[in-house]
Amino acid sequence: MSIATDPKLGLIDGPVHPRLAALNRAQGWYGWAGYAAPSMLDTVEFEYFALRNQASLFDISPMHKYRITGPDAARVLNRLVTRDVAKIATGRVGYALWCDEEGMVIDDGTLFHLGPEDWRLCCQEPMLTWLLEAAWGFNADILDESREIAGLALQGPTAYAVLCAAGLDVAHLRPFDLEEVEPGLMISRTGFTGDLGYELWTAWGDALPLWDRLWQAGDNLGLRAIGYEAVNIARIEAGYMVAGVDFQPAHATERLHRGHTPLELGLGPMVDLTKGHFNGRRALLATKPRSLLMRLDVEGFKPAQGALVYQAKRREVGHVTSGVWSPTAKRNIALAHVQIPYAARHPSTLWAEIYTLEEGRWDRRMARLTPVKSAFFRPPRARATPPDLI
Amino acid sequence: MSATRTFDAIVIGGGLNGLAAAGVLARAGQSVCLLERAPHLGGLAAPDASGAPRMAHLLYNLSPVVRRDLGLGARDWPFKTVALPTVALSEDGRHVVTQGAKARFADGGTHPDAAGFAALHQRLTSYAALLRQLAEAAPPGGDAPLLSSARLKEVLRLGRVGLGLRRMGKPEMRRFLQILLSNAYDLILDDIPDSPLAGLLAADAVRGAAAGPRAPGTVFGLLYRMGHGGGASLPMGGMAAVIDAFAGAARQAGAVIETGCGVARILTDQDRVTGVITDEGETLNAARVLSSGGARITAEMAGLAHFDIEASRRLRHVRARGTVAKINLTLSSLPAIPGLPDDLLSARMVIAPSASYVEEAFNPSKYREVSPHPVIEALLPGQTDPAQRGAQGHALSLIVQYAPVDLAGGWHAAARDTLLQTTLNTLSRYAPGLPDLVTGAEVIPPDRIEAETGAPGGHWHHAEMSLDQLLTLRPAIGIGRYGMGPSGLFLCGASAHPGGDLMGLAGRNAAHAALRGTP
Repeated sequence: MSIATDPKLGLIDGPVHPRLAALNRAQGWYGWAGYAAPSMLDTVEFEYFALRNQASLFDISPMHKYRITGPDAARVLNRLVTRDVAKIATGRVGYALWCDEEGMVIDDGTLFHLGPEDWRLCCQEPMLTWLLEAAWGFNADILDESREIAGLALQGPTAYAVLCAAGLDVAHLRPFDLEEVEPGLMISRTGFTGDLGYELWTAWGDALPLWDRLWQAGDNLGLRAIGYEAVNIARIEAGYMVAGVDFQPAHATERLHRGHTPLELGLGPMVDLTKGHFNGRRALLATKPRSLLMRLDVEGFKPAQGALVYQAKRREVGHVTSGVWSPTAKRNIALAHVQIPYAARHPSTLWAEIYTLEEGRWDRRMARLTPVKSAFFRPPRARATPPDLI
Repeated sequence: MSATRTFDAIVIGGGLNGLAAAGVLARAGQSVCLLERAPHLGGLAAPDASGAPRMAHLLYNLSPVVRRDLGLGARDWPFKTVALPTVALSEDGRHVVTQGAKARFADGGTHPDAAGFAALHQRLTSYAALLRQLAEAAPPGGDAPLLSSARLKEVLRLGRVGLGLRRMGKPEMRRFLQILLSNAYDLILDDIPDSPLAGLLAADAVRGAAAGPRAPGTVFGLLYRMGHGGGASLPMGGMAAVIDAFAGAARQAGAVIETGCGVARILTDQDRVTGVITDEGETLNAARVLSSGGARITAEMAGLAHFDIEASRRLRHVRARGTVAKINLTLSSLPAIPGLPDDLLSARMVIAPSASYVEEAFNPSKYREVSPHPVIEALLPGQTDPAQRGAQGHALSLIVQYAPVDLAGGWHAAARDTLLQTTLNTLSRYAPGLPDLVTGAEVIPPDRIEAETGAPGGHWHHAEMSLDQLLTLRPAIGIGRYGMGPSGLFLCGASAHPGGDLMGLAGRNAAHAALRGTP
């Protein structure tokens, strides 16, 4: 969902805008929740390979951040999300998604268990009114921290080394751990790239000195500031979905039946039907999935973005939502919604009709699709604790 | 405490709807326990200790369908009811008497608008009879299979309503559809000039509502009142006779009825109702719980965590703003009303000298104030039934509108006194000596009604009878077919379709829904 902002206002500067503006040779900006965010600073290739081979710095401050506190905070969250938050220990981060009463996914995000009765939810869509609704009648407070808390994503094989050079000790952090390493600076071992990486959270006003500190530390470690286009390639390789692209957030859809249940997004394991009631539970029990978001290996090298999916080259059974050539996996990869009987039955008979525009000529080609179970790229370094000091 | 008692169904609240629900369930072979928090049954209908009316004082819509389902007689109720004429009081003494579709002056003179009134009355009652069929079943919709008997019955019923519409003929059908959603003020004044007669209809259209007669949807309010012909009747023996009949039917079918026993919590397990815990801490097991309390309070008793976020949002936005105060006066002797023959003191007397007067009475309530010139429905029940005369003197039962529940500054003693004085001043314009006869007065503002009966906002219908809160939208979308939240939990009070008004249909319909349900 786009946020309605006054067009005259234009895009707002984020907390590290002076640094990004100086680095943005390509002058590629896009609007992210009203903020000017870099789509690309010089070239996508440089940035992508920095992310996969060195280290990358990406400003994630425009994310929506909400603080949920109080004796009923966990009850409110358990009412909200489909998984059991009781299983997210203090000092841990959990991926979560939440549904409307019809079981359609509203958004997904990460839940930070900061302390007893103290949580933070980070997500892509504005969620304040929904959280206030969820907390009504419960002893919990909701605070919109979107403008108070800045976030920097430091991702890539040398991310750990950069932090060490910056004097930040995170050797013991396992994936999905979080810790306040210094007063006012929280680091979580999380990210949207499927690689070794950390997210650093600090007060909005402290983001610029933090950026400089990391920048200096990364000088000899190949640290590069990157834009969203590079992140997007990495997240498809990791098999992560994006709201508004790979699924339609239920609150942002105006047409009927455009939403998707968690099962349809392949996230059935994220739904705990035994934990008691949560929003959409009854609807999820009563409905059957109509389609499935599949990870597919696409024949050839043409990105399949926007391709229609056919069964046996004849029957149209779905469409590709994200498709890209993966430089690291050396595969042509895609995420696609495929109607349920065809997704389950004979998945090897699926084809993508890829449309190409080459020097003024539209063409199409049929490419065989091969379902892939896990992420397209899942390096062991993403899980090693402590990480190798490269 | 001995072993936990187990029932097939528990009904919360012993008003007419709760009693109707318990009776229907018990007669279907269910073991039923009804729990009422107050020491007596009846809810808003409950009389005072002497047998005189306390809150509700007349019957309009007590449903024969409920009577049949409770086994209380195929032809008539076990108690006698007396149809009362209505007197629209006029300051100049030219009071108007209506009985059914007939209107005349109290002195016997012919009313110039009698023909217009008769035509309007006849038309409204025929429309109301058509709509009544919708009240006598759950709202249309639901997820019953297409060929199930429930769905076939529903299709037949809707078909009958449609057929009834067609039978009216094209011009009349067009008129019906034209006025159904419109305002009472325009409808009435199209046919008769503004006068006590028009004021009477306007007052009847908005009685109990947080609306003036110019509000859209008030024609529906008038039709609702006319669902069973529109006549007001007084039960002989008072409301106690009605309550005893309902309770007797339920008890005879085996229902256990306990008064002075409130429910603290509704228990659930695995998204199914398992019973209740009473205020005293006793646990009662049941796979079905029917609550005749308000929708939101019912959800809170079960725990909001068991409801979807959308549902709890809708529940707390259900509009239930009571605007009616009840005042019970004791008079040392019968009042003299110039221009009104003594035999008409038994009538339902309405102070609403014009439709504009009713609208103006409504205006202050928008700003959380009491009407300086309220609309009043007055009844001397002892004139018809000596058993309802009250302990001493003569009981005068008054419905005073508008007195909003959210009165600015709150309903403290001084506010209640002001309302009493305003009411007496208004009465004295028609019965000059009346204030001197008052030997006792009890003012029951909406907040008191809520405290005593649990009616949300002190609203008679538990939820405003506005177009956005009717049928499948009553009290809110998604919970419009009695079932709500966890499996086995049902709403059976006035906030469910088709609303309150001492009809008993909401409780009866809910019981049928619970019997169809699948615990």
